Amino acid sequence: MSFKSAVITFPGSNCDRDALCYLKDLTKGEVHNIWHEETSLPKVDLVILPGGFSFGDYLRSGAMASKSKIIDEVVKHANDNRYLLGICNGFQILTEIGLLEGALIRNKKLKFLGKNCFIKKKFKNNFNLSIKDNQILQIPIAHNEGNFYCDIETLNLLKNNEQIAFEYCKDEFSNTEENINGSIEAIAGITNKKKNVLGMMPHPERAYSDFHQSQDGRLIIESLIS
Amino acid sequence: MNEELILQHGLTLDEFQVIRKYLNRDLSIEELGIFSAMWNEHCCYKTSKKWLKKLPTDNEIVIQGPGENAGVIDLKDNDGIAFKIESHNHPSYIEPFNGSATGVGGILRDIFTMGARPIATLDSIRFGLIETEKTKYLLNGVVHGIGHYGNCIGIPNIGGECEFESTYDFNNLVNAMAVGHVQKDKIFYSKPKSIGGLIVYIGSKTGKDGIHGASMASDVFSEEDEDEKRPSVQVGDPFMEKLLMEGCLELMSSGLIESMQDMGAAGITSSSVEMASKGNVGVHINLDKVPLRQPLSAYEILLSESQERMLAVIDKKNNHKVREILQKWQIDYEVIGEITDTKRVVFESNNKKVVDLPVEIIVDDAPEYDREFYIPRKRKNKDFDFSKIKLEDMIINLLTNLNYLDKSWVFDQYDSTVMGDTIREPGQSSGIVKIHGTQKVIGASTDCNPLYIRINPYEGMKYTVAESYRNLIACNINPLAITNNLNFASPLDPNIMGELVLSIHGLKTAAVKFNTPIVSGNVSLYNQTNEIPIKPTPVIGMVGSNMDLNKINTNKFCEIGNKILILGKQLTKNCSPYLLQDQKIAFKICEFNDLEVLDLDFEKKIANCVLELSDLKCIMSCNDISRGGIFSALLKMQYKDMGFRVKVPDPIDLFCEYSAGYVIEIRSKDFEEVTSFLTKKGAEYLEIGEIIKEGIEINSKKFDYFDIMNKYRNDFEKIIS
Repeated sequence: MSFKSAVITFPGSNCDRDALCYLKDLTKGEVHNIWHEETSLPKVDLVILPGGFSFGDYLRSGAMASKSKIIDEVVKHANDNRYLLGICNGFQILTEIGLLEGALIRNKKLKFLGKNCFIKKKFKNNFNLSIKDNQILQIPIAHNEGNFYCDIETLNLLKNNEQIAFEYCKDEFSNTEENINGSIEAIAGITNKKKNVLGMMPHPERAYSDFHQSQDGRLIIESLIS
Repeated sequence: MNEELILQHGLTLDEFQVIRKYLNRDLSIEELGIFSAMWNEHCCYKTSKKWLKKLPTDNEIVIQGPGENAGVIDLKDNDGIAFKIESHNHPSYIEPFNGSATGVGGILRDIFTMGARPIATLDSIRFGLIETEKTKYLLNGVVHGIGHYGNCIGIPNIGGECEFESTYDFNNLVNAMAVGHVQKDKIFYSKPKSIGGLIVYIGSKTGKDGIHGASMASDVFSEEDEDEKRPSVQVGDPFMEKLLMEGCLELMSSGLIESMQDMGAAGITSSSVEMASKGNVGVHINLDKVPLRQPLSAYEILLSESQERMLAVIDKKNNHKVREILQKWQIDYEVIGEITDTKRVVFESNNKKVVDLPVEIIVDDAPEYDREFYIPRKRKNKDFDFSKIKLEDMIINLLTNLNYLDKSWVFDQYDSTVMGDTIREPGQSSGIVKIHGTQKVIGASTDCNPLYIRINPYEGMKYTVAESYRNLIACNINPLAITNNLNFASPLDPNIMGELVLSIHGLKTAAVKFNTPIVSGNVSLYNQTNEIPIKPTPVIGMVGSNMDLNKINTNKFCEIGNKILILGKQLTKNCSPYLLQDQKIAFKICEFNDLEVLDLDFEKKIANCVLELSDLKCIMSCNDISRGGIFSALLKMQYKDMGFRVKVPDPIDLFCEYSAGYVIEIRSKDFEEVTSFLTKKGAEYLEIGEIIKEGIEINSKKFDYFDIMNKYRNDFEKIIS
């Protein structure tokens, strides 16, 4: 059975094309691009909320997109136990909708960070099944507000429920800090309690093709398909 | 009309008399505003036109040369590449964040106005000495501004240059370049097609920002000016630009647009006059229809430089469809006039014609000056004393000079991988992106050697073009064409004018030899404050290609044990200007020896060797040799745990500059093949050493690898904080 997926485009999304290519190239299945004003969503296995600056990041990153018409359908899709992946601005939107806990605040050094980063898996879920424990993935980040924050009770819940999917780390030769943006416990990605919704700051769709610096981003789609 | 008013509008009294005589009547204030906007350097190139005409602008791959919003070259099949560089120097000094952000916004509009989707940006930024708080503020603001705009709209920044020198203390330079991909059969021009076509206004509402920006850009600064001029800086909204870009590209791909013009410098005035002039038609515009952010007079509307606005011509029958697409993107849209056959530019406001001028007087009769210029005196050469120079000190001199340090702090603030097609990010000799959906890649580099050009403008400019050329060659990118940004001080000084004239000649000589025509460009004059001029800084943006992305070279070391070879010819230590300056041997410009004549045939010969060896897959990594010589090139090539062990006759050789200089890394097993190839081609080479693990060794002397690499990578941020 072929894997079906969709990418939502908001005004100001700028990684929607990248996400569409990522899905087309890796799933080989049907891929839909859905405009934010649509009121229905085709029945698909995976929806991606892509990166970018939806609505110019005005008000707060992701805040305005979380009120878009399509969001009701996205929530239904998640409640149906199907996969939902928010990348970068998509992660911010998921926290604004309330599908994921916590918030993304400004990077520790108060500067945009566009560079390679290294992450590894923390707790197992369907998005990281194909990734070995302690395997270090190289995936680019590009964000100004990627510093994950939550209160201590929430953090304990995330740990107890094993909702932390990825954490930042260092590789042997990297010249970057272990916790690149100052996130609490170096969290790079979390899931919801049911583990069918993942939000992550790094961009796997920029690390999958032969000509990319790394192909580690493939592992996420491979995990879902396997 | 009183003289003071005329002078305030940046016109000379002589220029005003020309207009007055032609019209044989008094001008309205709006008309005076139009001439102020259209007859300044920024719009009509009155000082540089005579010389720019001498540049080569055409060859077999040029689709569009200078004169449109951007130049376009042919990349085979249906692929065209549009690119241009533009300065935003003055606004970025007054308000660094918005000044630089709108510089990026403006250059991106130039690209998508042609129907091209922007695929990369580069920049060339220069600041004064970092020791002043002002420079730190400017650096932070400019980098933040460039990053913010480009990141938000989602175009990768793939490279550029960032230098510091006291000559830019009061005049920083911000030049932004953009590259776009266009289908050759869908290029859009500013020339309208039919009489009666509707002129439509698309984009942000018009406000008071940037009124008189273009004439400000053609003015000398004095220190008190800064605060007074701040309201003239435009404010950018990259979100709006993203919508505008998507909306315009959709309109163009749907075939709903006849022609398009970006409202950049001098806003609605310059865009509508350009349209009329290009099409040899007239325009009739009702200013009451222009969407406004606040109440504005006709004069203000004409001269506003509010950002993210476009002017387009459409067929009446498409009006409804155009509106529908723009509504989807939530973009303001208004029919404000039509194309007429009068060859006149008419603006009305409150049922009154406030402007009624023949296009001819505004465009064709714009002034063109043949300004006096001096040719620099021939320099007397002498020998410098190098006896006191120690190798350790030379290394320290580089590692304590911002210009040599790794500039990740700058480009980590830029998104360089968005769009998913980036092959080489900033920090390598050239930035490289793939043409989406193909195997073709585009490489680009921006360069300038102001010190060389001050010493010898003609030869210095040849070196600058050659440096861009080498930057592309090192990556196995075939150089194709050039865009230039001529940043100079006041051309009213015949010495400065001489530098302008001679460097254009140098550019011409090199461009002809390399077969890299100049297809677009920009001139920024009067970069001086309190009569202190900047060094001549004509920046080159060179674009090239390779049809196969798998053939691209890396600039980073590949494997321990591989050999390091040097190609090219070293400049003597007495004639290596950056060596003399940065090793603190020569201080004043008058002390330097003349530049050695750059042999462009030799440049080409060595470049062809590098390209051929790259295609043979014999080159594991390659970097060009520029400021800081072989040593600096090797530092840039360092990767993971790899270092180098080298032996040279004189350690100073490692810091000298080169003509046709390249460092290449080859495998031992390819040594025979490579060296016999080079010998056959008559290209001398020097085997200087090999790649080793975690070490730096020069003539058997061991240096602290971790200390040097740590300083190289991390000290930039420490120094600027």
